[in-house]
Amino acid sequence: MSKKIGDVILDLQNISLRFGGVKALTDISFNVKQHEIRAIIGPNGAGKSSMLNVINGVYHPQEGKIFWHGNERKKMEPHMAAQQNIARTFQNIALFKGMSVLDNIMTGRITKMKANFIEHALWFGRARKEELEHRKKVEEVIDFLEIQHIRKTPVGRLPYGLQKRVELGRALAAEPSMLLLDEPMAGMNVEEKQDMCRFILDVNDQFGTTIVLIEHDMGVVMDISDRVVVLDYGKKIGDGVPDEVKNNEDVIKAYLGAGH
Amino acid sequence: MLYREAGQFKTTYAADQQLFPIRQDRIGVLVLLAVAFFGVPLLASEYWFSAILIPFLIFALAALGLNILTGYAGQLSLGSAAFMAVGAYAAYNFQLRVEGIPLLVSFICAGLTAAGVGILFGLPSLRIKGFYLAVATLAAQFFIVWCLTKFPWLSNNSSSGVISTQKLIIFGHELNTPVEKYLLVLSIVVFMALAAKNMVRSTTGRAWMAVRDMDVAASVIGIRLMPTKLLAFAISSFYCGVAGALYAFCYLGSVEPDGFSLEMSFKILFMIIIGGVGSIMGSFLGAAFILLLPIFLDVALPFFAELFGLPFSSATVSHIQITVFGALIMFFLIVEPHGLARLWQIAKEKLRLWPFPH
Repeated sequence: MSKKIGDVILDLQNISLRFGGVKALTDISFNVKQHEIRAIIGPNGAGKSSMLNVINGVYHPQEGKIFWHGNERKKMEPHMAAQQNIARTFQNIALFKGMSVLDNIMTGRITKMKANFIEHALWFGRARKEELEHRKKVEEVIDFLEIQHIRKTPVGRLPYGLQKRVELGRALAAEPSMLLLDEPMAGMNVEEKQDMCRFILDVNDQFGTTIVLIEHDMGVVMDISDRVVVLDYGKKIGDGVPDEVKNNEDVIKAYLGAGH
Repeated sequence: MLYREAGQFKTTYAADQQLFPIRQDRIGVLVLLAVAFFGVPLLASEYWFSAILIPFLIFALAALGLNILTGYAGQLSLGSAAFMAVGAYAAYNFQLRVEGIPLLVSFICAGLTAAGVGILFGLPSLRIKGFYLAVATLAAQFFIVWCLTKFPWLSNNSSSGVISTQKLIIFGHELNTPVEKYLLVLSIVVFMALAAKNMVRSTTGRAWMAVRDMDVAASVIGIRLMPTKLLAFAISSFYCGVAGALYAFCYLGSVEPDGFSLEMSFKILFMIIIGGVGSIMGSFLGAAFILLLPIFLDVALPFFAELFGLPFSSATVSHIQITVFGALIMFFLIVEPHGLARLWQIAKEKLRLWPFPH
């Protein structure tokens, strides 16, 4: 894979996160470079999802610094991550069940739409124009993910694999510069996994999107990621290119178990 | 066979996103509006206007308001009647105290006042959800009714807070007959229903539904929860406020605070449960159902009693009414939680194929 991996765009330094007395993350540092696919792996409960939640502002770490494009990030709220072009998908599908596929993906563009509710109510001014413009963008995403046939279906009625794909679509509609994927392939069959891998690689390749993903399928992780970070019990135990990580003693212990 | 969209090809996104994308729907709505505006005034009697059509439209508007809040934005509220009371008293006071204010402007101001109060009582929604929020809105219900009784200024020092509304004058013309009142209410309701439909099909509505379905995901996408929820409270209360003003001015003519009771709030809630939570049309169907059912039973029960030779009294009628009412609400909650609007949708899907089996 010949890619032009750029500079560091996200730098996490000595992040610690506690919930009361429970230490979810302890002193974790790693960085993400532009255009790369960065995987976070680790056994259950290692703190992988907490890590993503820290990156997009759902959790606030008690210690540590986060640099986004070289600037230190102060206290932030989840919606600010969206404004900084960070999009994500969730481990348990977090689609809006009562809405159609089209509407779900349209919500992904909500930060880019400026019309206010009065314009919407009277359907004049920016409201109508925006709706059409953004529909066009959303249709591009729908084409890209090959879900044209279900665009008007309520997402609640779709099978699991397709729901995961729609959720990716909602994140992509925001045209993010960084995409956080929380177990995008959990519970999928081989064919669906292949499709999802293809989409992730295409997004990375065609749009130049930086991707941070959590995944349990080691075959997939070792195949598609550029660098891998390994967490165990909230601590970082490995970091590097897939081959390095594969041969790391601590990582093997964490995964295969070792007599304590 | 009649309800078939085959052959109606959409070649632009504008055509696909219009208000009623299927031609038969468009024709149906236009026919319905034509009948409502021109047919009904020719045919209906005075009793129909003042006892059935006007209250139906007003309650449909209130149900629409509650549906925006509960059905679309997912915030349960038990204060709809209180917000109607705010609207009614605000419109009265604007007419009373502001020299030469046009009636329609005072209705809008009444809506805005209710919206302000709605935002105030919507603030707890930022911290609490579901049933607990419903209890918080219950506070609005009791507090507002208490306020209107307690402070005589609000009812211009009348005894026990009863107000008699001013004359209905629009563009220098006084509305006296029920037909004129009906047309005024109908115009306002149609306009506001259209505005609501536009809101829920655009970004505003999508943000509400996103907050309703999954608030964490909504905030990660970039939806700010606080303004979105408060906007829903404001717009919902605006609708209820205007409905309250119409209730006082065009339906009853004189109202008292206790008239806007918790029972009325529940009635509006039942309308959206039976009509369809999260559906504009459901608000109308629900209002029609809840208002017409008692009238229907009034007429039908004595008839059936006579048919089977059963003993009969007016007390029995009211008992049976309550029983049937309760049974129907349970029936809908179990069988079709999405209400009459969903039944209508299923009927439409069936009609697309009918009379062919596939």
